[in-house]
Amino acid sequence: MDPMVEQTQVQTQPRTKRGVIYELKRHRVLYLMSVPAMLMLLLFSYIPFAGIWMAFTDFNVVDGIFGSAFVGLDNFKFFFDTGGMGWKVTYNTLFINFWGIILGILVPVTLAILLHEVRGVAFKKMTQSMMFFPYFISWVVVGAIVYGIFSTDVGVANRVLELFGMDPIRWYSEPQYWKVIIIASSVWKWSGYSSIIYLAAMANFDGSLYESAKVDGATKFQRILYLTLPMLKPTIIILTLMSVGRIFYGDFGMVYGIVGNNPVLIDEVSVIDTYVYQSMRTLGFSYATAIGLFQSVMGLILVILANQTAKKINDGEGLF
Amino acid sequence: MTKHGWTGDRLVTALAYLGIALFAVACLYPLLMTVSVSFSSEREIARNGYSILPQAFSLDTYNYIFLNSGSRILRSYGVTILVTVAGTLGALLITSMIAFAISIRKLRYRNVLAFISNFTIIFSAGLIPWYMVSVNYYGLKNSLLALILPAIFNVWNMFLLRTYMSAISPSLYEAAEIDGAGHFRIFWQIAIPLSKTPLLTIGLMYALQYWNDWWHALIFITDRDLFPLQYYLYNILSNVNAISSGRIPSGAAGAITLPAETVKMAVTVITIGPIIFLYPFIQKYFVQGIMTGALKE
Repeated sequence: MDPMVEQTQVQTQPRTKRGVIYELKRHRVLYLMSVPAMLMLLLFSYIPFAGIWMAFTDFNVVDGIFGSAFVGLDNFKFFFDTGGMGWKVTYNTLFINFWGIILGILVPVTLAILLHEVRGVAFKKMTQSMMFFPYFISWVVVGAIVYGIFSTDVGVANRVLELFGMDPIRWYSEPQYWKVIIIASSVWKWSGYSSIIYLAAMANFDGSLYESAKVDGATKFQRILYLTLPMLKPTIIILTLMSVGRIFYGDFGMVYGIVGNNPVLIDEVSVIDTYVYQSMRTLGFSYATAIGLFQSVMGLILVILANQTAKKINDGEGLF
Repeated sequence: MTKHGWTGDRLVTALAYLGIALFAVACLYPLLMTVSVSFSSEREIARNGYSILPQAFSLDTYNYIFLNSGSRILRSYGVTILVTVAGTLGALLITSMIAFAISIRKLRYRNVLAFISNFTIIFSAGLIPWYMVSVNYYGLKNSLLALILPAIFNVWNMFLLRTYMSAISPSLYEAAEIDGAGHFRIFWQIAIPLSKTPLLTIGLMYALQYWNDWWHALIFITDRDLFPLQYYLYNILSNVNAISSGRIPSGAAGAITLPAETVKMAVTVITIGPIIFLYPFIQKYFVQGIMTGALKE
């Protein structure tokens, strides 16, 4: 096989020196096969970049994107000082994502470790299927379930409160509970899914390490603490860095699917993404574009930082 | 081993079983509740609240829904099925073609293609410019294409598939090339048959994404005839939300027909029905997909 490889390399060497046109012609079928995907990216990712200009103008339909009056950074100023909700929605986004990340590590890692200790195959299979199920339903359906639990008159939560002799709560008119409800829903939906990733990592662990630890008299708890957790650390760090890279992106579907357009609750749980959508209707395209741009730029900075951190820890291998 | 160690180990095992069982029940409980309420009598639910077992089992709700809004639901079902089938097939074709191209090491600009794809993950123009060009230049407002095209190419899925295809031995391709096969024939007759499992995995991921999508409908669709199932459900629920917050004046609330408790849960069940039926068969392909993704990292 080796001589074959060398031969083809020798053959291709002179060819690579020929021009771009030659390469495109020679592999035209392969490039043509990439065209549909590239076209989709062009239409939905690259052409929209031109619209970023709207963030620095006072956009109106008559003058168009490039004809509207230039206003500099006014839209950003409005977002953070004057009437905008800049600090509030940024805080909400970071708050919800921060707890989503922390609990999104703690719960799935615990589940994976516990599942690893379970020996009954049937039990393991069944519980794993049950835990994975929430991943398959949409946020709208989660919203229906949340309603079933927190509806004032028929919901389960108020029945439980009643059982302990407490007064029922009108959940849907009390905003202060909803950050917690949303974070809990996120943990509920993703934990089964994430625990599979950790189980996949644990499947590759060296079984003989556990055997020798057992011979040396280590208890199960000690094996978890001194073998499993340290070996899971790289996976945990990589997954955390990926989430940190996306900490400025709120989950639109989650917030809107659960809270919907409920005017009493939305301000309390509004994230940057839902705020952009709302502002588009009320405060105009330019302002909403500016917020979106702020989010994308913060996102880009964090992704690059996360990637560099990953490279440092991971012997030069980044997240992408 | 000491006696103390043994009791500790048993405690860990017992806790493992208990913890797992509790979390699994917490994941399934809301689902059972939803199904039970949809099969209950409305009067019992209004009196006793939601429960895990059906109260006074009845099919009244389903009869009611199909008599009153049967055609609307069937229409939404049709939209969702059409979008899911067309979207998934299109997505599989588009994704597998570029994944194949990028997996060919001889292709000089494959890194350029990969970079163009990757960059869209880390930086985007945001919602508004995207919405603006989609509506003003591509005419996606109230179009079924709005539900299909924006989600038809997922870069993550492409890299997942490329990882598989890169593992196919190039000597297979070379042999076919000597026999005079072009790159498309090699793709169609060698690469695709050898990638059946990953194709099934990403196909199911695309299908789930299309089935569960309501966000694109929220953004682009105002015509009720084009509402997908999930968005139909969203509308029923958000009406209820707005009313129960007490912000809508009672006169207005009277004008909106408030869907009864069991109806909401029945529509939810109708929405996730196919997923529940297919779940036992499709679950393992998702697990495979996640594990491959995890190993890549």
